[in-house]
Amino acid sequence: MRALRRFMIRLGNFATGHSPDQRLREEIAEHLALQTEANLRAGMSLAEARRQAAIKLGGVEAIRRRQHDEAGLPWLENLLSDLKYALRLTRKNPGFTAVAVLTLALGIAANTTVLSWVSATLWNPIPGAAHTSDLLTIMRGNRTDNPTPPFSFPDLLDLSRRTRTFSGLLGYHHDYMSLTGVARPERIYGALTTANYFDLLGVHPVLGRAFLPREGAPHAGAAVVVIGYGVWQHHFGGDPSIIGKAIQINRHPYTVVGVAPRDFTGSAPGLREELWIPLPMDRDVWGFNRPDYRGIFWLNVLGRLRPGVTRAQAQTELNLLMQGIAERFPEDHRNSPNAISLDPLWRSPFGINGYLYKTLPMLLALAAVLLLLACANVASLLLVRSVERRREMAIRLGMGASRPAIIRQFVIESLLLGLLGGTAALVITEWTSRGIAAFVPPSSLPLTLGAHVDQRVLFATIAVSILAAIIIGILPALRSSRLPVQSVLKEEAASVSLTWHKSRLLSGLVVAQIALSLVLLVCAGLFTRSLRKARQADPGFEADHVLLASYELSPAGYTRATGAAFDRQVLDRLAALPGVESATLADFSPLSFSLHTDYLQVQGYVPQPHESMEISRAIVGPNYFRTLRTALMAGREFTAADTAESQPVAVVNQAFADRYWPGANPLGQQVTDGGERFTVVGVAGNARYRFLTLPPEPVIYLPDAQSYSPTHDTIIHLRTTGDPRTVAASLEIAIHQLNPDLPLFNVNPLPVTMQLGTLFGRAAATFAGSFGLLAMLLAAVGLYGVVAYSTRQRTREIGIRMALGARKGAVYRLLLGQGFRLTLAGLVVGAVLAGAFTRLLKAQLYGVSDTDMLTFVSVGLLLAAVALLACHIPARRAARVDPMVALRHQ
Amino acid sequence: MKQKTDVLSGTLALMVLKTLEVMGPQHGWGIARRIEQISGDLLAVNQGTLYPLLLKLEHEGSIASEWGASDNNRRARFYRLTAAGRKQLQAETRYWELSAAIIARFFTVKAEDLT
Repeated sequence: MRALRRFMIRLGNFATGHSPDQRLREEIAEHLALQTEANLRAGMSLAEARRQAAIKLGGVEAIRRRQHDEAGLPWLENLLSDLKYALRLTRKNPGFTAVAVLTLALGIAANTTVLSWVSATLWNPIPGAAHTSDLLTIMRGNRTDNPTPPFSFPDLLDLSRRTRTFSGLLGYHHDYMSLTGVARPERIYGALTTANYFDLLGVHPVLGRAFLPREGAPHAGAAVVVIGYGVWQHHFGGDPSIIGKAIQINRHPYTVVGVAPRDFTGSAPGLREELWIPLPMDRDVWGFNRPDYRGIFWLNVLGRLRPGVTRAQAQTELNLLMQGIAERFPEDHRNSPNAISLDPLWRSPFGINGYLYKTLPMLLALAAVLLLLACANVASLLLVRSVERRREMAIRLGMGASRPAIIRQFVIESLLLGLLGGTAALVITEWTSRGIAAFVPPSSLPLTLGAHVDQRVLFATIAVSILAAIIIGILPALRSSRLPVQSVLKEEAASVSLTWHKSRLLSGLVVAQIALSLVLLVCAGLFTRSLRKARQADPGFEADHVLLASYELSPAGYTRATGAAFDRQVLDRLAALPGVESATLADFSPLSFSLHTDYLQVQGYVPQPHESMEISRAIVGPNYFRTLRTALMAGREFTAADTAESQPVAVVNQAFADRYWPGANPLGQQVTDGGERFTVVGVAGNARYRFLTLPPEPVIYLPDAQSYSPTHDTIIHLRTTGDPRTVAASLEIAIHQLNPDLPLFNVNPLPVTMQLGTLFGRAAATFAGSFGLLAMLLAAVGLYGVVAYSTRQRTREIGIRMALGARKGAVYRLLLGQGFRLTLAGLVVGAVLAGAFTRLLKAQLYGVSDTDMLTFVSVGLLLAAVALLACHIPARRAARVDPMVALRHQ
Repeated sequence: MKQKTDVLSGTLALMVLKTLEVMGPQHGWGIARRIEQISGDLLAVNQGTLYPLLLKLEHEGSIASEWGASDNNRRARFYRLTAAGRKQLQAETRYWELSAAIIARFFTVKAEDLT
């Protein structure tokens, strides 16, 4: 309390410039007068009395100084004067300031850009939800790259009723729905959810309410819907009286009970849901009765941990509960894994975080290396300048400045540079944070990757800037504060330079820059080669000259019979189009995360206990393999003769045959899907439909005429003779001649939509690549700067050498050799560092070893060449100098 | 060495407060002389250090000051104890007495007392 009062008064004095100096003067005069009188009374002479009084009082200047310090805030005063000085210095050297600030800005921006993505995805997995750190994704079985929804509704209800470690469990299933009954039907990604969905997430509708418990009750349910903010705005004009009105979804009416908040996009990170309907409405929405079956696993489940419960405790409990359920209903759980695994949302296997949680930290590590390099670069600039300021610092120290004062001066200068760099970085980040969205190609997935500079990014930027400032400021500060004052003051400019070029610190910084840039370049090289390998890998089909287009029949009013007939007409019409070689249909397209799975029974194969029989299942039309140019290893493919009336047939891929019928002839074997038995009539070569970089998995192909489902997208695949884009217009005309009202969407060449399959590889390669190039540039500039500076300092020495008969070539070699030795040291250190660092990337690389010789050698040569060029320019300039001019040089 | 001066400057503040309590409002020289009389040579030189200390105590609200007339009718700054200062003095007196008692006991203890 007393300390606060004192601080406030001092702050007030500081701010108003109030000083008690006049008062002190008067007090001291009076004090001296009183003491002199006392001394006179004691019998001293007047002169002696005055002298003794002054001695007793002590040094007046020191007292005034202390009085002044007590009156105001000396540290704040010093800080301000240091800041003023630093500002003057920055303004005086605009070139130096610009280079340092830009370098730091690039280094910081690399970090804050990646951080803005981390913030938008891993840190904020469900925008709008409360306390997402308590939420866990609940998964059955081991984590895979391609998880399928793990729970049935009855299992979820049993778990929710019994769990004591979770305060609640929610379940959802999302897919496309259609908003019908409006002028133009629109596909909207929506979810069927348990009634507690919004309450458990902590999301409060901006209008109306969330679901009531009875609206999600099993076997009952209510035709109600909570609509997304975007749907409310775009389709209903933000109608404030929307609550209670009926809207049509997949041709059934639903009463709007709520509008979700603007930023809420559902509970799967990175995917945008825009409608929410209670689970029991499955029959109306998608025509199934999935909520009634214990053996149909179609729900993703999230749980909110009770306070004080650990993840391990929750996992143990759920495992016990799930085991109990599996024992009571063995039929339904025999062929699926029942071990529970729990994941926090930042690495939830569902949604985009399942991929990003590996990629982003790695990008962040690369960005950190870049920042370190930028710091080394600016530190070497500052160090060069600090040598030029040796005399100034020596004078300051000589005048009585303390070491901390000198260090403070340097730290403030570098803080100023750091914060300027941080500000510039924020401007850059504002732009680059949106860059992640640029990697997402047009696709059927409702991806939402809205990164921007938010509060967390802002704080991170400030923190990173200050950290960078400390790194760059500390070396020159420590060096300068330890100057041997007298010898520096006696030094001639020339002798400064002679000791200078041997500076180990500066050489160390240059070596560090070369080494760090080699690390980044090696990473860039590895990612680029890995991406190229993935692109060159044989996917098992030919993507070039294939055009895709999608339509959806169910919302347009087609039934199973009319839909199948329509598909036939479409194929006939398209096959006849000029420029089309062949045409087919499928319910998925390769490498765009759209392949479905089904629970299959494979004749003659006994699954391991708890082995998942959820197998990739593709529904394709006639001529699918011919159109995609996928090899047929045996048997035949589907034709127009495979109809709903003929014998159900299937084609399996090689991986399927090898896995389930090893050594046997797959032709003639039978597979049961959804109660229907399909006989295998063909074996296709393996094709990669999910990731180019993962080994092919078993796939079964079923003919569209025999397992027709009008509820899924139908994707047209056209093989064209020329550029597929030229056929797009006639394709659209052909479809609209058959049905003028049927919307055609996602009309894109296959190579474009396939980009989704290499999304993370491309992001990594692009970022590592740009970081690598930036790093090389910075290192080259750093090396150039140091060599140029040291040659300038050695001008006199060079003049003497030349006057004594040294040839231009010898001088050139001398200077070049100095730079080259540094480069070589940097390359060696960098190779060791890179060898250690690339081990972290192993899991992300495809077809390239993390110690790939070709990459290391070629990148090293490239860097060496650039470094030599950076040394060549100043060395040649120095070698051409006139010895007479050089000797007169100060 | 540094610690010793810290202790002394702490005790100096206490001496100032006590002086003002006993003698009522005083100017700087009066306080200095009084302390010198009681504490001997502690403040014999550098009486001037008293003034920054007085300013600090004033900032903390323990004392207040105003201009007045000295004995020979010249202008002088007079310091007096405030209510807060009186309370502070009481608290610190108790603390010092307690510390002094403990240290005194500690110094008088003999080896045989501890077994």
